[in-house]
Amino acid sequence: MQRRRFLGLGAATGMAAALPACRQLEHLGIPISVLRPGMVEGHRLRDAAPLPPATREIRTGVAILGSGIAGLTAAWRLARAGHTDFLLLDGPEPDGNAAAGTQEGVPHPRGAHYLPLPSLESRVVREILREMGVIEDAPFAARPRYAETVLVHEPDERLWFEGQWCEGLLPTAHVDADEAAQLHRFMDEMARLQDTRGADGQRVFTVPLALSSADPGWRALDAQTFGHWLTARGYTAPSLLAWLDYVCRDEYGAGPERISAWFGLHYFASRGGHAANARDGSVLTWPDGLAPLARHLRTSLAPGCQRAGMAWRIDESPHGVSILASDADGPFRILAERAICAMPLHVSARIVPDMPARGFDPARHAPPLSPWLVANFLLDGFPAEAGDVPLAWDNVIHGSPGLGWVVATHQWLRAARPPRTVFTAYRALADRSPADARRWLESASAASLYEMASEELRRVYGGPTLWRLTRAVEITLRGHGMACPVPGTLSNAGLGALRQARGRLLFAHADLSGYSVFEEAAHWGDQAAQKILAG
Amino acid sequence: MSDAASSPSGALRQPDRLLILSVFVVASCGLAYELIAGALSSYLLGDSVLQFSSIIGCYLFAMGVGSHLSKYVDDQDVLARFIDIELLVGLLGGLSATLLFLLFAWMSAPFRSVLYALVFALGVLVGMEIPLVMRVLHTRQASFSELVSRVLTFDYLGALVVSLLFPLVLAPRLGLSRTGFLFGMANVAVALWTLWHYRADLPRLRGRLTRGVLVMAFLAAGLATSGQLTAWAERGLFGDEVIFATTTPYQRLVVTRWKDDTRLYINGNLQFSSRDEHRYHEALVHPALESLPWARSVLVLGGGDGLAVREVLRHGHVERVTLVDLDPAMTGLFSRNAELAALNGGSLSDPRVSVINADAGRWLEEHGEVFDLIIADFPDPSSFGLGKLYSVPIYRLMARHLSENGALVVQSTSPWFAPRSYWCIDATLREAGFHTHPYHAHVPSFGEWGFNLATRRPGFTPPTHYSVPTRYLDADTTRLMFQFPPDMRALPVEANHLNSQALVHYFEQDWRNVVR
Repeated sequence: MQRRRFLGLGAATGMAAALPACRQLEHLGIPISVLRPGMVEGHRLRDAAPLPPATREIRTGVAILGSGIAGLTAAWRLARAGHTDFLLLDGPEPDGNAAAGTQEGVPHPRGAHYLPLPSLESRVVREILREMGVIEDAPFAARPRYAETVLVHEPDERLWFEGQWCEGLLPTAHVDADEAAQLHRFMDEMARLQDTRGADGQRVFTVPLALSSADPGWRALDAQTFGHWLTARGYTAPSLLAWLDYVCRDEYGAGPERISAWFGLHYFASRGGHAANARDGSVLTWPDGLAPLARHLRTSLAPGCQRAGMAWRIDESPHGVSILASDADGPFRILAERAICAMPLHVSARIVPDMPARGFDPARHAPPLSPWLVANFLLDGFPAEAGDVPLAWDNVIHGSPGLGWVVATHQWLRAARPPRTVFTAYRALADRSPADARRWLESASAASLYEMASEELRRVYGGPTLWRLTRAVEITLRGHGMACPVPGTLSNAGLGALRQARGRLLFAHADLSGYSVFEEAAHWGDQAAQKILAG
Repeated sequence: MSDAASSPSGALRQPDRLLILSVFVVASCGLAYELIAGALSSYLLGDSVLQFSSIIGCYLFAMGVGSHLSKYVDDQDVLARFIDIELLVGLLGGLSATLLFLLFAWMSAPFRSVLYALVFALGVLVGMEIPLVMRVLHTRQASFSELVSRVLTFDYLGALVVSLLFPLVLAPRLGLSRTGFLFGMANVAVALWTLWHYRADLPRLRGRLTRGVLVMAFLAAGLATSGQLTAWAERGLFGDEVIFATTTPYQRLVVTRWKDDTRLYINGNLQFSSRDEHRYHEALVHPALESLPWARSVLVLGGGDGLAVREVLRHGHVERVTLVDLDPAMTGLFSRNAELAALNGGSLSDPRVSVINADAGRWLEEHGEVFDLIIADFPDPSSFGLGKLYSVPIYRLMARHLSENGALVVQSTSPWFAPRSYWCIDATLREAGFHTHPYHAHVPSFGEWGFNLATRRPGFTPPTHYSVPTRYLDADTTRLMFQFPPDMRALPVEANHLNSQALVHYFEQDWRNVVR
């Protein structure tokens, strides 16, 4: 046999033999970068590594520690009120869960990617959106007018159900009459809850959560799990339960069997935002997720008001707040009259030594945290779609442990599909305990992370297609991604105590609401700033 | 070369030497079929790297299978099988290009399966050739080392010659179909020659000879008529002879001609026919530009064929035309190809014109220039992506690029075939703050076609005379263009917003109702 022919044959049989072993080859030649924002700093805190003494000293009126949405909103509110004597210390990941990245000119989210139409009660969010020009008219009315470029473009969502795509996220048209009836009964019940008010006249479920009715009858729902509530109400249709499982994992990082019934209902009943120019249930989104909101909040800040660095220890005294921090140039001390601790509570618990004295016992009150994985697939072109339902912004797989993917270039205004795009796949590691999931994430190889992150894309498009189109993958691991509202969250006395803080040290973070969304972070950031402005 | 009948040094007898020469031919043919299949599939399917490598891979693998199968041929049958295989390779390889082309023209679904099946079959047959030749020569006592060296030398030499001839001479001069037939005939010639030389050793000579001559005649007839066959296949696709075709990263461009009618198709959709395109382009440009005698700068979005620019340049007061078209292949074709540049009067090479190859959406977002007239000549809104080019935000974006008294003209689909789409574009322009002046023209190859002239200020009157030479427009035609008879009246439809994309839904429904 000739050499040329032999080589050809050899290569072909080699490929055939390698097919079963393809799992190992799935990412062959694909550069995978893994980001673990805050992990090194977090582990240093956990291990209580000794801190070197500070060599520099900075004085400021208000120190804002952490630059996620809560910290940024607090700084924005202070700046807008003409209060300029503050310092915003970024923390390990500027913008927190609103952070974004760019691969080869395609911006994409590394965390949160959309904002529902804000409810009537979300005044802070509406104020920010009006300032950005996203709300064009009637910012505080029932139906504001939104900039169309930011409303999610058609087609917005689709569901992979039994091997094919269907429009929308509910498989109503593809299930039998009994199941469809249950789906409708559930949606009707949720619609009624939107307008339900408690004995005190407040809406039962609102965003921000702090404005929800205090009616104990309704708040008793927080004692049971959402799963329990669903069973008790006769919701048993598999398609409905699979969808609710997806919704809960997407919103709270855990399924209905773990989260509080009050929060499960809150998701459906609290939003109720309307728009003059979009249908109910529409969302606001940007190519790089929520990063433009964070960028806007920063534009109101003078350059001298913000700096990189991480706080390691916060001590409050009758004269002020002393913060030991460090940046690339080494440790330094911030002496502030007041401080806003705008970081996740599991971090605050390590940095503020007297948390129990403030009414927050980390062992009892710290909310459980769901680990998340956000994977950005940079693709050379768009994979071919099976069937007639075109690629949507949000693409969800029915009954899958993943949370689907969004298309970063969906909101682009272009004559032709861009030559490159990014698909952002989400996954909450809800199938094991958070601690186990974090241990796994900490030691997982790039290959096994890729395998988990790409599972749904491979299922829909096929491994070889994904491999052929993928140019690079960036995987962001958020071991403590967001607070998970388990039963008892609403009556968590520790959270209540921190919300009520009045001294020199204030707290601002979505964790104070027991779950993690932009609106809650903005609310607590605004509240902390208001307390400072009130003197 | 010495002529030793059974030389122990391994030199070959003359017929055997000729057999070695036939290795050269056989190898050339083998490579030619591989190149034809690769070129044809990248020509028809695009993505040439993928097509070429998968074809080569499939072919080489099949050759391996063929080499393996060759061992099952009995020693006494080797010569006869070699001749049979040559005939079969000649027939299959010779027909391959024409067969695939005809198949693609009429049904595109099984094309890939047939392509790879054909490539595999050819590969298996070609893979058997060389092992069989070597066995023929080996049984004739040629020394093994000499044999391997010679056969391989000629095998590789044949490959080199064809790999150079194919792209430089054969594909451009003869075309793929004729090249296929030619190499098929070469294979059959080898079969016939071998048959004649070893006639003493071969049983059933007459039958084999007849078969060979028949195949040869069949291929010769194919070669003679392949021009018609290919043209016939292309007519099946486009109706006319294809004079230019290319696949770019963005689209597939095909230019056809029948007598004096030149047509451009993008992704199979007719863009213009040279017989009546003047109606479309005069209607697109002159009503607006005639009423803007002060206009200095014009922006054309889409329209890479340069035909709208040609009409714009007739107006002497226009100093600067900017054409933004996505595809450099399109603007390149219409500025460099002499026949096509003659259609647009060389407009794309005019010093007043700057051609920018960029995505119109992106270009509008990133640049701040202001124009007196903007012409949006985009493809019809047949997908969600294209629908965005007819949305309120893009018209607001265009308004920012328009001088205070300027105008925007939009190609707006057909008010007759797609009335809801047409009036949806009108509603969208009004929603974006424009005053609209819808009009329509009859373009025979499209039917009744619609445009919209949008201004930022009210008070537009259609021109009553034209200061530039026109073939279609005059005062009366223009007056009628801006009137809509009762069966084309405005419909109450929604504007096209990005979050609803009403236009794409209307367009789909409208065309579903049209029997084309």
